Amino acid sequence: MKSDQFSSTNSNRLYQMIIPIVLVGLALFPFSEPPVYFISFVFWIFLYVCLSSSWNLIGGYAGYLSFGHVAFFGIGAYATAMFGKIFSLSVSLTLLGTIPAGLIASLIAIIVGYPCLRLRGPYFAVITLCFAFVSQLTVKNLEILGGADGLWLKTMDVSVEINRTIFYELMLALTSVTVLVSFLVGRSKFGAGLRAIKEDEEVAQTMAVNAPRLKITAFALSAFFPGVAGGIYACYLSYIHPDVVFDVNMSILQVLMALFGGASSWIGPVVGAVSLTVVNEGLSTFVKAELARIIYGCLFIVVIVFMPNGILEFFSRRTKRIDN
Amino acid sequence: MSLSATLTGHDIDKSFGGLKALSKFSFEVKAGEILGLIGPNGSGKTTLFNLISGLFHPDSGKIEFEGANITHESPHLIASLGVARTFQIVRPLRDLDLIENVAIAVVYGRNGISQMQVARAKAFEILEFTGLSHRARRYPGELALEDLKRLEVARALASNPKVLLLDEVFAGLNPKEISTAIELVYKIKETYRVAIIMIEHVMKAIMTACSRVIALHHGVKLCDASPMDVANHPEVIRAYLGAGYAGN
Repeated sequence: MKSDQFSSTNSNRLYQMIIPIVLVGLALFPFSEPPVYFISFVFWIFLYVCLSSSWNLIGGYAGYLSFGHVAFFGIGAYATAMFGKIFSLSVSLTLLGTIPAGLIASLIAIIVGYPCLRLRGPYFAVITLCFAFVSQLTVKNLEILGGADGLWLKTMDVSVEINRTIFYELMLALTSVTVLVSFLVGRSKFGAGLRAIKEDEEVAQTMAVNAPRLKITAFALSAFFPGVAGGIYACYLSYIHPDVVFDVNMSILQVLMALFGGASSWIGPVVGAVSLTVVNEGLSTFVKAELARIIYGCLFIVVIVFMPNGILEFFSRRTKRIDN
Repeated sequence: MSLSATLTGHDIDKSFGGLKALSKFSFEVKAGEILGLIGPNGSGKTTLFNLISGLFHPDSGKIEFEGANITHESPHLIASLGVARTFQIVRPLRDLDLIENVAIAVVYGRNGISQMQVARAKAFEILEFTGLSHRARRYPGELALEDLKRLEVARALASNPKVLLLDEVFAGLNPKEISTAIELVYKIKETYRVAIIMIEHVMKAIMTACSRVIALHHGVKLCDASPMDVANHPEVIRAYLGAGYAGN
């Protein structure tokens, strides 16, 4: 008991030392004048860390595997784009619209979650996947949203380097907040309740955990950050299309990243998103494309078969066993 | 005040399809009382617990807790008012260690708190009380049945209940374990002044621990009396052993 508390404060202190250094380092990275490619690449890593960390709030902590989370990303992207279009705003003002866009995503999550969160396991996974398809089709068929042509946004009147740097910093800020929220939720009473729901919802209820309310809160919170991220992404690309911002692959990828790293902690999705994005990019660059896909697929199989709780838990259990 | 009933049920009916699990069942239990609930398999004991804790709702009848009607309330609300239960087939939260299992009940229970750290300290005290403190950082999968039953009790206690529903916490234990478990139940009654309803097949536990016993058979109450009277009641003997033994 005592030694446990001691080691946990020790690791806390370690985090308090390392995290600010890492964040400052990441924030300064674009100013070391790296090739633009690297700035975009790290931007993508941030985006996926943000997506899988926010997915983890409902999927990892509460065990409700949402396979349609890209819908919130798409909704955020379109909400921001429309905000800019309706008021014909400049890019920097349009970016202010990402916050209301996130709130709209949360609101839709509450409306969709109210009936859907009564379903469990595979039923919930399937219905959320359907929700993503339905929202994609809806946007595709709404003329006011540009339909199948997509939507153009204004571009910033600056050089590519500066443009990329601005969006890099924005995504870094959003991702940091997302990971911080995920970390705080994990330690809180709220997070403890979600864990109880994941383990056994009926038992959780008899322990006075208000499961319906906790689930919907987690779902709404986990929709907010993808909503904002979608908005930033829309401004970043300056063109959005239903096939891009509602891409089901993105849904599946954020789930896999969280599960790959380990969905029961805040750090799991971070590790999963970073490592998979790097591996994927590395493979596509250095290995033939066809072979890259095969290796990527095999990697997933190995992790799912041998490390069902993610790579982090696999290695931490290993070390624990050695300690004992 | 202390003499008024904490939990009462009036004319509770519950059917599953054509099967009447409980019919016109009434009961009451007061603070500081240990009420035993006996009956052959399928007589409706666990159904009653599921109805009280809100996992099922009765077809008709009324359940009241401290004068408030809780018949159709949801399980989490009933639990937060102060009705805690254990499960006959133990249901620990398997991926969480014992401290976390109990701490979650502390934060969400009656007069819950929001600080997980404080809750963990309180959870440790409760594990100490139930004799599990030496396993506080273990996972349920590493525990034997006796300790898992204790964990069920610890978790129920952690939600700071006024009524404790114990569903066969002695089943599957050996005689020595039963004795320590009975002591634990006494200790709970003395320390926490809760009303306890316990479902039990182990007669030693019923006879020593309970102040009053209700016998159920096919969902109907056979009698409601002192343990000795219930054990000698002809209807009860007939239900358990057959009509031939219930003579004179």
